[in-house]
Amino acid sequence: MENGTQEPLVPKIAVKNFSAFYGKTQALHNVDFTIYERKITAMIGPSGCGKSTFLRSLNRMNDFFQGFRVEGSATLDGEEIYGPAVNPVLIRQRVGMVFQKPNPFQKSIFENVAYGLRIQGVKSRSVLSDIVEKSLKAAALWDEVKDRLNGSAFSLSGGQQQRLCIARALAVEPEVILLDEPASALDPISTARIEELMQDLKDRYTIAIVTHNMQQAARVSDRTAFFLDGTLVEVNDTTKIFTNPEDSRTEDYITGRFG
Amino acid sequence: MAENPLPEKGLSAYRKVRNALLGSLTAVAFILAVTPLLAIVYVAYDRGKAALSLAFLTTMPGGFPVGIEGGIANGIAGSLILIFIASLLSVPVGIWAGLYLWDQSHTRLAKITRLLSDLLLGVPSVIWGVVGFFVFSTNTGFGFHWGFSGLAAGLTLGFIMIPIVTRVTEQALRDVPRSYIEGALALGASRFQVVRGLAIPAAITGIGTGILLGVLNVLGQTAPLVFTNYYNTGIPKSLVGSNGSVGDLAMQIFIYIHEPSKELHVKAMAAALVLTVIVLLLDMGIRLLAWGSRKYAQRMG
Ligand SMILES: Nc1ncnc2c1ncn2[C@@H]1O[C@H](COP(=O)(O)OP(=O)(O)OP(=O)(O)O)[C@@H](O)[C@H]1O
Ligand SMILES: [Mg+2]
Repeated sequence: MENGTQEPLVPKIAVKNFSAFYGKTQALHNVDFTIYERKITAMIGPSGCGKSTFLRSLNRMNDFFQGFRVEGSATLDGEEIYGPAVNPVLIRQRVGMVFQKPNPFQKSIFENVAYGLRIQGVKSRSVLSDIVEKSLKAAALWDEVKDRLNGSAFSLSGGQQQRLCIARALAVEPEVILLDEPASALDPISTARIEELMQDLKDRYTIAIVTHNMQQAARVSDRTAFFLDGTLVEVNDTTKIFTNPEDSRTEDYITGRFG
Repeated sequence: MAENPLPEKGLSAYRKVRNALLGSLTAVAFILAVTPLLAIVYVAYDRGKAALSLAFLTTMPGGFPVGIEGGIANGIAGSLILIFIASLLSVPVGIWAGLYLWDQSHTRLAKITRLLSDLLLGVPSVIWGVVGFFVFSTNTGFGFHWGFSGLAAGLTLGFIMIPIVTRVTEQALRDVPRSYIEGALALGASRFQVVRGLAIPAAITGIGTGILLGVLNVLGQTAPLVFTNYYNTGIPKSLVGSNGSVGDLAMQIFIYIHEPSKELHVKAMAAALVLTVIVLLLDMGIRLLAWGSRKYAQRMG
């Protein structure tokens, strides 16, 4: 596991004194956190501690919940994500997301990957074909589906569907990819493929992943953040978190004493 | 049954009795549910078969009392005209309102709209008829003064349809999984793109069913027609004014049954069979349309 100390760390997303509320309940308390470019950042913590809330705050996916609001600052390349003039649709094009349960559209494999481009107005069949192929290759799915691009996405296995969802996210060329427990519904072999895939992708993308699986966090990530009850307890290089955490609560959690 | 994992012998007497009881209840419920349809088709066919012919569908009624000779072309044409006018009003308005209720489901305006639309669903059709008469037909109301006419009746029926289409559209959209919508939003789709490209195609079968329910409701109405259209033995040249009434199958059946004439009773039953068949055809048509547009949406972006 490289920990990236050789090359300088470039902040991609910087969150300062960030709080999030669903109506009256506060789900995040004054989080300070930086996600670095071309690194994989893992978020761990017990259920309900606010990992998904945090992740979804970064591409404004929580906007759709009635009564959701944030305080503090969250920036993408220095630009406020919640700034008054910001179009959330553009944020979501730059910060893609893959969900816990594979959620392909009721369309063909090809159209699933092409969807993000079509809504941006791309019509040319050859451009679409190129990008679909490139994205499926990047998601390590191309060889399995190249002969049945017009088949239904629902005919794929769960693991393939999840890689299809990754390909779909890659097709719009996001800068950041957020993954919310992307492998928790998958078998070990599919999980291993997704983890390999993340290693391939991190040369080009900034990746943030929520996981309940400590080994997975240790295997795939460069940096790990530990959340507890809506607060960020500790964030550091993954090796440091797993070998020598600064906070005793982190140690308790990763050694399985609670959570 | 060989594949039954629980051997019958292993069941307690109580569970055996319960299974048998529930099984027979299900069978009874099924029979009760399908019997009326079979009964309608059988009675209408049996009593009306003497009048059935192709000419029955294509000729206008004549003779005295009117209808003794000829067929029900006026009623078929009139019913189709009324459905058309009613749908023209209610389908766009109802789908729009359903979309609004789905999209803005928590706003106060949506809650009020939902409440009102539920209240409207419960308004008896006689009242719709009287209000339609006052609003569209007389000169003492809102100044439309369209008389007993296809337009007055079609719009009145359209207003009856709006809450049906609205609520079914909203429910069909609610049934689209949230994860599906979020998947598109996370790709940078606007709400409008999500609605048009994903939500509506996914809900199209439900929306189609809603329109169908509305149309079927309208097809069977007589009370609103009594006040806004009554009945026409011919096909009108205009849809407003003193010669603007249209024929209507339900009204035609209603009127024929009330005539003291055996021949007209037979024709009423034949017309009832035609109405039932139209309903079944419409049902199949909507299903086909929904299926087709879903296939189309799967292929396109
Ligand atoms: N849509 C919502 N409306 C209201 N409260 C919510 C909503 N989503 C999450 N919460 C609350 O916010 C808190 C954090 O939830 P969140 O989903 O972020 O936790 P999590 O760390 O992702 O948990 P898990 O590991 O189970 O996915 C929880 O107390 C949860 O009940
Ligand atoms: Mg979560």
